Amino acid sequence: MAALTTDSLTRTFGDVRALNDVSITVPSGGVVGLVGPNGSGKSTLIRILLGLIRPSSGSAVVLDGRIDQPSSYLDRVGALVESPAFIPGLSARANLASLARLRNLPMSRVGEVLDIVGLTGRDTEPVKQFSLGMKQRLGIAAALLPDPALLILDEPTNGLDPSGIVEIRALLSALANDGRTVVVSSHLMSELEAICDHLIIIKFGNVLYNGTVNDLLGSAATSIVVAPENPDDASALIDALTRGAVAAEATADGSVRITQPGVSGADINRTAFAAGITLAAITTHTRSLEEVFLDMTGRSDGDVSRDRAAQTNDQES
Amino acid sequence: MLNATRSEIVRTRRKGAVAAWFGLTALFAVMMFFAFFTFVDSAEGAPERGPGVTFPSVETLTSPEGIVAPLASASSMFGIIALAFWALFTASDYSTGMIRLLAAAQPTRWKLVVGKVLALLMWTAVAATVALLATFIVAPAASASTSLDISAWQDVTVAIVAQAWVNVCVSMTIWGAIGMVLATITRSAAVAISIGAGWVLIVEGVLAVIVPDIADWLPGSTIAAIASGGTDALSYGAALSLGAVYLALCLGGTLAVYQKRDITD
Repeated sequence: MAALTTDSLTRTFGDVRALNDVSITVPSGGVVGLVGPNGSGKSTLIRILLGLIRPSSGSAVVLDGRIDQPSSYLDRVGALVESPAFIPGLSARANLASLARLRNLPMSRVGEVLDIVGLTGRDTEPVKQFSLGMKQRLGIAAALLPDPALLILDEPTNGLDPSGIVEIRALLSALANDGRTVVVSSHLMSELEAICDHLIIIKFGNVLYNGTVNDLLGSAATSIVVAPENPDDASALIDALTRGAVAAEATADGSVRITQPGVSGADINRTAFAAGITLAAITTHTRSLEEVFLDMTGRSDGDVSRDRAAQTNDQES
Repeated sequence: MLNATRSEIVRTRRKGAVAAWFGLTALFAVMMFFAFFTFVDSAEGAPERGPGVTFPSVETLTSPEGIVAPLASASSMFGIIALAFWALFTASDYSTGMIRLLAAAQPTRWKLVVGKVLALLMWTAVAATVALLATFIVAPAASASTSLDISAWQDVTVAIVAQAWVNVCVSMTIWGAIGMVLATITRSAAVAISIGAGWVLIVEGVLAVIVPDIADWLPGSTIAAIASGGTDALSYGAALSLGAVYLALCLGGTLAVYQKRDITD
């Protein structure tokens, strides 16, 4: 069963197509990562799912409710959208109480979520006195208020210290283990790699990947770097490997890199031995989620407006 | 809807803001009283109008209604204060980003609007009561040095006081609704307050000079007529009817913007 499904979801803001025919299915249960460079359309997608903005075209179903009828599912959805938003002059408890009353929840739930995020004892202080990390915890507490089946968190670890990040990571995993679906939008690839089962990569409003993290990393080529004992043998080794239909390239330090799937270190060692080349080192390098992400998104430096302009020029030419 | 109102009451129960609202209201009530008697006892006598203020006649001041006359006369000032706080409580949902949480928690947006209106109505009623109490507290002191015969004040009835309270409450509510729609459209309390205050103090006066035929039907004049229990130009019933139209336009406009606009704040 899917926690949410979108069908050709498109949203434009003037000339900018923030979401372009987005069709994804997010399985129920587990932690789902939603990643993309700044301005890629993540927040637009989240806002549409929360009924805050309407799509230009397309449809979506969230927890069996259609997004044009958000009241049919939003009572089971908790969300932290962009930065935590609260009335600064009110206490943490009063801010949460206001939301609890709006959702017709018992006031005891306020104490429970404050406890979960570790803000008990600070709950009577005005939010304006909170650090960014404390506000972030309060934002997560607000998202947890309705005991949601679907939790959507935008950069939940933003501003947290390392121990706070570990706590939130454990919390998200625990929530997912309880059968909830947790959608996490983040730039911290190492965080996502540690907790996500499923990943959606989005850029310029287009979905580049929607599947499991294992499948993504499994499909990513593992590179093997071998160092001949004599660096001058590098070109001879490349020739030998090429004759065996194995693509290889020289590196700047006199080593040879092989990125072809299905080739093992033992295969390369045998080829080198047959060619009379002694290898000093064989190193297998498994690519991280961050490297895969950067390759897919084109190592954007964050200047999305320039990237978008380049994309537009490409399309026009 | 009740949940939305209860939620809004929690959110608007900000000690500083509410105290400022009530404090300013009481301050204007007190200032009006002292201003009236200062002008009345001066050689020139009291003018008919000041910026945003209509002064009561000597006959009114010396009647049983005289003790609550400052409430009606200062209604525009109370109105501007109400406009400011309705605008502040509305715009802060946008400026803090709280609107995202609210709309996600209660996707039926008209309930959010009605909840906010009911909560602010409650605070407005309290503010009108504060103004009334301030008037009664300061009246003996303000009138102590006057040459006017105010013995008729002892004949003031509950009905007179209640009518004055209702009139002030209704006029403050219409001003508040104007603040609410301006804040909803502009998403800024500062802009909404500037437009509202500018209208009362400048624009409506200029319009009255340029197009005198419509002067009595403009929002400020209409609301002042309600606060005064009717004027020569606009009867109480007509003022209430026109006030209801302005109120409906403001709340309808707020509702329409809330319903239709994307929440991108």
